[in-house]
Amino acid sequence: MKILIHDLNENDFNLKFNVIGKDITVISNNNEIHNCIGCFGCWVKTPAACVIRDKYGDMGELYSKCDEVIIISNCCYGGFSPFVKNVMDRSISFVLPYFTYRNGEMHHKNRYNKRYKLKVCFYGDNIIEEEMDTAKKLVMANSINMNCIKHEVSFYNSIQEMEGEIL
Amino acid sequence: MKIALINGSPKVKDSASNAILQELKKFLGDEPIIIQEHFKSPEIKEEQMESILDCEAIVFAFPLYVDGIPSHLLHCLVRFQEYIDKIGKKEIVVYTLVNCGFYEGKHNALAIDMMKHWTKKSGLKWGQGIGIGAGGMIPGLGNVPAGHGPKKNLGTALKIISDNIVNSSEGETLFITANFPRFAYKLAAEFGWRKAIKANGLRRKDLFRKKV
Ligand SMILES: Cc1cc2nc3c(=O)[nH]c(=O)nc-3n(C[C@H](O)[C@H](O)[C@H](O)COP(=O)(O)O)c2cc1C
Repeated sequence: MKILIHDLNENDFNLKFNVIGKDITVISNNNEIHNCIGCFGCWVKTPAACVIRDKYGDMGELYSKCDEVIIISNCCYGGFSPFVKNVMDRSISFVLPYFTYRNGEMHHKNRYNKRYKLKVCFYGDNIIEEEMDTAKKLVMANSINMNCIKHEVSFYNSIQEMEGEIL
Repeated sequence: MKIALINGSPKVKDSASNAILQELKKFLGDEPIIIQEHFKSPEIKEEQMESILDCEAIVFAFPLYVDGIPSHLLHCLVRFQEYIDKIGKKEIVVYTLVNCGFYEGKHNALAIDMMKHWTKKSGLKWGQGIGIGAGGMIPGLGNVPAGHGPKKNLGTALKIISDNIVNSSEGETLFITANFPRFAYKLAAEFGWRKAIKANGLRRKDLFRKKV
């Protein structure tokens, strides 16, 4: 299974991407989403699930069942858009609170054996060089943090440019 | 001089970000007028933006979330940038203190870069960023003054940034961690998780629960 997290409106998404008949779970901005409140309840209260029970509370479990996570996001200050970032902030139940070391730095241990590939597609007509640099480093950092198998990142000037390129 | 201190942690109480700002205040002294705001949800009010933009310096303090800016704060920053675009740019210097749960302060580098990009896009001036590791220790050390014990490095960094803030000057990004060994921080944090899960009526092994 693949997961596709995107911040496009339903119309643009349906016009540009065809997921019918493909084994893809799509996470869109079509429901009320709450922000992470930093309570760590997903580790110590309801382990492996977010305590906030909106439609975005089981991201960790979902990652544990997929081979690839594809993210389509507007590039915002060299990072993800607020909606995509919200989904990511609500995803830390995927890892354990326990620490391990990778490349000499502290990270979290895996909760699940399953690991996924991370593919990020940033779009925007005004992404400057420095933002691109930050965004590339960010995807790499996320990939290490979530212990992904591998990662890739690409940039597009517009939503149109992504058509036929991603799935 | 007027300075805005913005706490970007979603936590209502006991956040490291708030503790850091309260320590910073001591270094800023009595002279500047200080206003404090707490961005704990994605909503930002026009009055808040107005009073912040009336300052010569803005200091953000927030936690690192998944290597970046917490989403609620990012929402606020996007709105804030739109507002600044509308009313025209101001002579304001932006400073940022990011703290994280991992030991090394370096993890905060990208969130600081993103704040630099926000500053540039908003037409404001960049001042300085500090990346603080082992943030999990800070709220519990309220009685230890910055500059002492495990908060020695924090004190040194806050002195440097506070001097820059009052002089509206720029400084290079600093990365610090607690004056406390890494293995001991790891042990203390992991002991804390076991204590927390038990306090919630669950068992130690529930920390490892998998959803299938
Ligand atoms: C959703 C979420 C994501 C986090 N991601 C990271 C991370 O990528 N790296 C890190 O070192 N700490 C991470 N942390 C830990 C926080 O940065 C740390 O607990 C911090 O001290 C909280 O600061 P505060 O008390 O000011 O909110 C994360 C915490 C949460 C809740």
